[in-house]
Amino acid sequence: MDDFLIYSGYLILLINLVLYSISFFRKEKANGFFVIYLAFAFLMQMSMELLYHLHYNNLFLVNVFIIGQMILLGLFYNSLIKILSQKIFIKSILSVGILIFCIQFLTNPNEFLKFNLFAITLTSLFCVIFGLLHFYNMLTEKKVYYYVTIAVIFFMLGSTVLYLIGNLTLTLSLEVKYFSWKLNAFLFLVYQLVILYEWKVSFSKKSLEN
Amino acid sequence: MNSNSIPEKELVAIILYISLFFIIVAVALIIFFYFSRKKIIQKELEKIELILRYQKEQLHAIIVTQEEERKRIAQDLHDDISSKLNIVSLNSHLLTAPNLTEAETAEITENIIALTTKALDNSRKIAHNLLPPVFEKFGLSAGIEELCEEFESSKSVKTYYKNEIDFDEKDIDRHLHVFRILQELMNNSIRHGKASEIWISFANKDGINTCDYIDNGVGFNCSNAENQKGLGMKNIDSRISFLQGTIEINSEINKGIVVNFTF
Repeated sequence: MDDFLIYSGYLILLINLVLYSISFFRKEKANGFFVIYLAFAFLMQMSMELLYHLHYNNLFLVNVFIIGQMILLGLFYNSLIKILSQKIFIKSILSVGILIFCIQFLTNPNEFLKFNLFAITLTSLFCVIFGLLHFYNMLTEKKVYYYVTIAVIFFMLGSTVLYLIGNLTLTLSLEVKYFSWKLNAFLFLVYQLVILYEWKVSFSKKSLEN
Repeated sequence: MNSNSIPEKELVAIILYISLFFIIVAVALIIFFYFSRKKIIQKELEKIELILRYQKEQLHAIIVTQEEERKRIAQDLHDDISSKLNIVSLNSHLLTAPNLTEAETAEITENIIALTTKALDNSRKIAHNLLPPVFEKFGLSAGIEELCEEFESSKSVKTYYKNEIDFDEKDIDRHLHVFRILQELMNNSIRHGKASEIWISFANKDGINTCDYIDNGVGFNCSNAENQKGLGMKNIDSRISFLQGTIEINSEINKGIVVNFTF
């Protein structure tokens, strides 16, 4: 059951990557950064899966993934924004975030090999802020990437809470131990499905017309 | 990795992170709502301002047209009637002069009669231009028929008028607006469109009175917003809003114009 959830999540992610790349190459309709983000996510998930099967510790990849996610989503929303002050706001938040992580990496490199709660919280927080900024801009204009932003905010909030309490489940019994991770896989699946829905709503008609 | 108890430090860290996370998300949401509200209110204000500006322009157009009408009436009265009455008065004074011959008296009286007849004609014409008596007495359909005949005879256009609606005499005020709209449209067709044929038809579609007006003039570029802002068009818009109807204008260069309005 858990494997089904996880693997179907990967599958939908792959489908999304393919569909958005097609839209990107057809008429530059899909945003480039978003395609890069999907490719990056897929790559990370596959490498994490690979390392898991090879019985290596893949926790540092998780940290790479969430930091890369924050950067790519930041750049994605930055490209969607037209007001200069907001662009500066996003870029400054991104630079502050990267700076904080550099400092943390320099002072305490071991954190990156563990479950880094601080990194998870901070990156998800930034992603949520970017999403809210995008929503604010979309209030009076035509909605673009509306469902994607909903999905990002929803997924970031949900999975962050799950990650944060992840360490608490260590003492639970075997059956329910992986409960929060199952929930996380389910959230990830929902996340990818909403991104798929966004593709269908925004890009499918134009792609198929060509 | 199984431990029976989690070190207190980690537990405290987790609790701290969770609460901090939620607090910051709550703060972010509150800031989001605050700015959103401001933005929405600003957009509403802009919309209202736009409506007000448009109404002001309409009002301005009406006032300007009114002043032009007054100038025209004043000129008509002065040229056609005032001058003639002046001469009539002069001639009447001449009549009071002593020692006039029969022939002179007859000539002067003839002049007076001719001038007063002409003055009467002109005043009738001015009154008719302002508000045709046919329209007042016999309703919209007869008024438009007469309008079409006038245009056919004086301005050499061919008009085709078809009416399927039985106009209620009580709505004469609303029909006056329709009459004026058609007057304006026909004047435009002649002056700007250089049309030679005009079709006017009234029909009742689904309980709504509609009028279709088509001409074969040079038309105008529909997408050019400049053409829509003329004085005449603004007045037509005002009248349509009085009638609480709708208007739709389609035109292409050299293909004439098609106007549909409901009332």
